[in-house]
Amino acid sequence: MSKIMEWVDARLPVTELLKSQATEYPTPKNLNYWWNFGSLALFVLIIMIASGLFLAMHYKADANQSFDVVEHIMRDVNFGWLLRYMHANGASFFFMVVYIHILRGMYYGSYRKPREILWWFGIILFFMMMATAFMGYVLPWGQMSYWGAAVITNLMSAIPVVGEDLVVWIWGGFSVGDPTLNRFFALHFLLPLVIFGVVILHLWALHAVHSNNPVGIDLHDEKDSIPFHPYYTIKDLYGMGVFLIIFCAFVFYAPNFFLEPDNYIPANPMQTPPHIVPEWYFLPFYAILRSIDFLGSFSKLAGVIAMGGAIAILFILPFLDRSPVRSFRYRPLSKQLFWMFVADCFVLGWVGYNPADAAIFEGALPLIVIGRTCTALYFSYFFLLWVITAFDIEKHTPVPKSI
Amino acid sequence: MNYQQVVQLHRFTKQASLRSATVLFFAAMLLVVVLPRGAVASGGVALPKQNWSFAGMFGQFDNAALKRGAQVAIQACMTCHSLKYIKFDQLRQFGYTEIEVKALAESQGRTKKDALLSGMDANAAKDAFGVVPPDLSLITKARKGYEDYTFAILTGYASANDLALATRVMADDKISDEEAKEVASALGLDMHHLDKMAEVLKRMAAGENFNRYFPGHFFAMPQPLSDGAVAYTDGTENSKIQLARDVVTFLAWAGEPTMMERKSLGVKVLLYLFVLTIMMYAVKRRIWARVH
Amino acid sequence: MDIESDEGRRDFLTLATGAVGAAGVAGAAWPFVKSWSPSADVLSQATTEVDIGSLPEGQMITVPWQGKPVFILHRTPAQIEAARKADGEKLPDPAKDADRVKRPEYLVVLALCPHLGCVPQPIGTGNYGGFLCPCHGSHYDTSGRIRQGPSPKNMQVPVYDFKDERTLVIGKATA
Repeated sequence: MSKIMEWVDARLPVTELLKSQATEYPTPKNLNYWWNFGSLALFVLIIMIASGLFLAMHYKADANQSFDVVEHIMRDVNFGWLLRYMHANGASFFFMVVYIHILRGMYYGSYRKPREILWWFGIILFFMMMATAFMGYVLPWGQMSYWGAAVITNLMSAIPVVGEDLVVWIWGGFSVGDPTLNRFFALHFLLPLVIFGVVILHLWALHAVHSNNPVGIDLHDEKDSIPFHPYYTIKDLYGMGVFLIIFCAFVFYAPNFFLEPDNYIPANPMQTPPHIVPEWYFLPFYAILRSIDFLGSFSKLAGVIAMGGAIAILFILPFLDRSPVRSFRYRPLSKQLFWMFVADCFVLGWVGYNPADAAIFEGALPLIVIGRTCTALYFSYFFLLWVITAFDIEKHTPVPKSI
Repeated sequence: MNYQQVVQLHRFTKQASLRSATVLFFAAMLLVVVLPRGAVASGGVALPKQNWSFAGMFGQFDNAALKRGAQVAIQACMTCHSLKYIKFDQLRQFGYTEIEVKALAESQGRTKKDALLSGMDANAAKDAFGVVPPDLSLITKARKGYEDYTFAILTGYASANDLALATRVMADDKISDEEAKEVASALGLDMHHLDKMAEVLKRMAAGENFNRYFPGHFFAMPQPLSDGAVAYTDGTENSKIQLARDVVTFLAWAGEPTMMERKSLGVKVLLYLFVLTIMMYAVKRRIWARVH
Repeated sequence: MDIESDEGRRDFLTLATGAVGAAGVAGAAWPFVKSWSPSADVLSQATTEVDIGSLPEGQMITVPWQGKPVFILHRTPAQIEAARKADGEKLPDPAKDADRVKRPEYLVVLALCPHLGCVPQPIGTGNYGGFLCPCHGSHYDTSGRIRQGPSPKNMQVPVYDFKDERTLVIGKATA
C-alpha cells in the first residue's frame, strides 16, 4: 500500500496535498457551529447533483410529456418518489444552509481583507444557485413552473431597446414553451457542474488566506490553531447528521411543505393561477422587485435594477465596512444593524409571499408600503454600515489579543 | 484594562448579542407567522379539519375505505372525470381481487390494464359544463387544504333547506337583519356585505351550484354525491358524508400510491440517523476533549 | 491506566461509528442503484395474455411479449406426430417434444433464432416443416428444435401457462 502511494506521490503529490490542505490544514480552534454551514453546503450540493443525475435518467424535457414523466417518476420508477422529493426539498435546504452561511460571513466580517476574493466567489456561487434553482423549478411543467418562468423571463423585457427581442430569444418562441423547457433542462444540468468548479475556486481562495474565526483576529501562534482532521472532520460530520435528520423529516413526512399545490396542475398557457408566488428563497428579492412601483414607466426597469442591486451590493460590502475590527461581536452598532437586516429580510419575504395588493390592519396599511420601507432598510444596512465605520461613529469594545 | 476585564466584557457582549439575536429572531418569526393570517382571512372560508387515517407519521390507509372509495370514484366521479395515472389493475393493491377488477373494468368498457379514464369526451364535457372536468389523479395534492379541501367541496353544496331559505329571503328582493343572520349561519356568508350576499342568494335561487367552501362559491360542478348515491356491499352506511370520506381517502391514495412505502422507510431512516448522529456526537466530544 | 482505557474506548467508539456510517452510505446508495431496475409500468408489461380460442388448427399467430415476438402454433395431428417421431433421432440439441409443450396442440416458442437473433419465417418453411431463419439458414422442426444450419440451440420456450381453456398467459407476473 505504502509502495503504491510512494509511486503515485513521486508523480502526483497526493499525500502532500491531503496533508497540507485537509488532515493537517491549520484551522482556528475557536470556530463555532455557524462554521459548519460551509461544508454542509457542499454536502447538499453533492446530494443535489446525485439525485439530479438519477432523475435526469428518467426525465424527458418536452412540453407534452414532462408533467406526466414527473408523475411516472413518482409512481413507477423504483424509489423515484424518494429521488424527486430529495431533489425538490434539497433545493430549499440548500438555500437555507447557504443563507446561514452568508449571514455568518456578514456577522463575523469574513468578507474583510484579505478575504475579498473568497467572498466574491461566494456571491457568484449564490447567483448561479439562484439561476439553477429557477430553471429547475420549470422542469416539472406545472402551473407554477410555467408562470414562474413566464414572469421571471419577462423581467428581461424591462431592459431598454433590446428587452423585447431578448425575451423572445430566451423563449425560442413567442411565449414560454417547448424550446424554453429544453434549453432550461440543458442549462439546469450544466450549471451545477459549473457551480462545483467555482466551489473548488472558493475553497482555493479560502485555503490561501485560511478561515476567519468568531473573534475575527488573525491567528498569532501555533496554539491558536488545530489540524482540520480529526477535529473539524468529526464536527462537520456531526453537523451533517443533525442536518440529515431535519432534511429527512421533511422528505419522508412533509415532502410537499415547500411545494405549491398549483404545481400539481399541468401547465396551462391559457390560464394564470389566481395567486402566483415564487419559491420561498426568492421571496425577499421578489418583494424588492415589486416594491418599486412609484416611478411610472420606469418602475419595471427600476424594480429589476433594485432586485439585481440587492445581490450586486454584496460585492462592494468589503469596501463599505471600514471598521478596524472584523467581528461584529465587538461592534455594538454594527450588530444592531445586522439583526435589523436579518429581520428585514424576513419581513420582505413575508411581503413577497402575499398578494401585491394585500393590506393589514383592516386595509389601513397596504403591504406595498411595508415592502417599500423594507427595501429602503435593506439598502440602508450597507449605507449605514459604511457611515458608522467610515466616520468612526462606532466605538468597538475591547478585542482579545488572542483566541 | 486587564485580562479579567476583557474576558468579562467578552462574556457580556456575547450574552448581549445572543439576547438581541433571540429577540429579533422571534420578532421576525412573529411577523411572518402571525401577520399572514390577518392578510388572507378576508379571502376563502376556513376549511373544517378532518381526521384522516393516513395522516401523520404512522398513518395507514384503511383498505376497506379505499375499496369503497374506488367504487364511488368509478361509479360517480368517473362519469365526467378521469384518473389517468391509475390503472384498474392497481386497485388490487388494497384488496380487490382479479375477478372484481376485471368486472369493474368491463363495467366501464375497459380492460384491467387500462387507465381509469372517463367515458365522457372532453369536447362534450366542455359543451355541457363550459369547462373540461379536471383529471382527479392529483386533485388532493393540487389544492390548498389538500384532502380537507376536497372533502369540504364534496360536502359543501347547498341543501334543500338552504335553497328554500335563499328563495324565501330573496322573494322580496330585500335582506332584513334577521334574515342576514340566518343566512350567515346557514351558508357561512359574511353578513357585513349585504350586496354580496344578495348576489349569492339570487344566483342560488336561479339554480346555480352553490358551494360554501369554493372561493367565489359558484362553479361548474353540480353536487356529485348524495345520500345513497352508491350502493355499498360491505354494510357500511352510504350517507353522503361517508361516500365523501371514502372517495377522498381513495383520491389521496391515487395522488400518491407510494405514500405508505415512503412513511415506513422514513421511520427506519430517521431511527438510523438518530443513532448515527448520537454516536458521532460522542466521538466529537471525545476528540475535542483534547482541546478544551 | 486511566488514559489507556480512555484511548481504548475511543477507538472502539470511533470504529463503531465509522462502521455504522459506512453502512448508511451503502444503504443510501441502494435507492439510486434500484432506480435503474424496470419500473412498475415496465413490469406490468411482463406478461401477455392471449386469447387462443379462435386460433384454427394449423394456424399460428405472432404476439409481442416483453418487446419480443412469440409464435403460438395450433398444431395439427400430423405436425404433432412429426415432432414426436423426431424424438428418437440424433438431434443437435436433444429435447423431447413432450417437454417443450404443455398441451400437445399448442407450440409456444420465442421467435428469435438462437443463432443471432433474427425472427424465423412462419410455420411450414424450411426442410422440416417448421420454421426457417432467413438470415443464416437455420431449419427448425414443428417443435421448434434446430435440425439443420448454424444455430446451436433449439428455439427457446418462454414461461407460459394456460389460465383457462382459451386464455394463454406468457411470462411470469412480477410484484
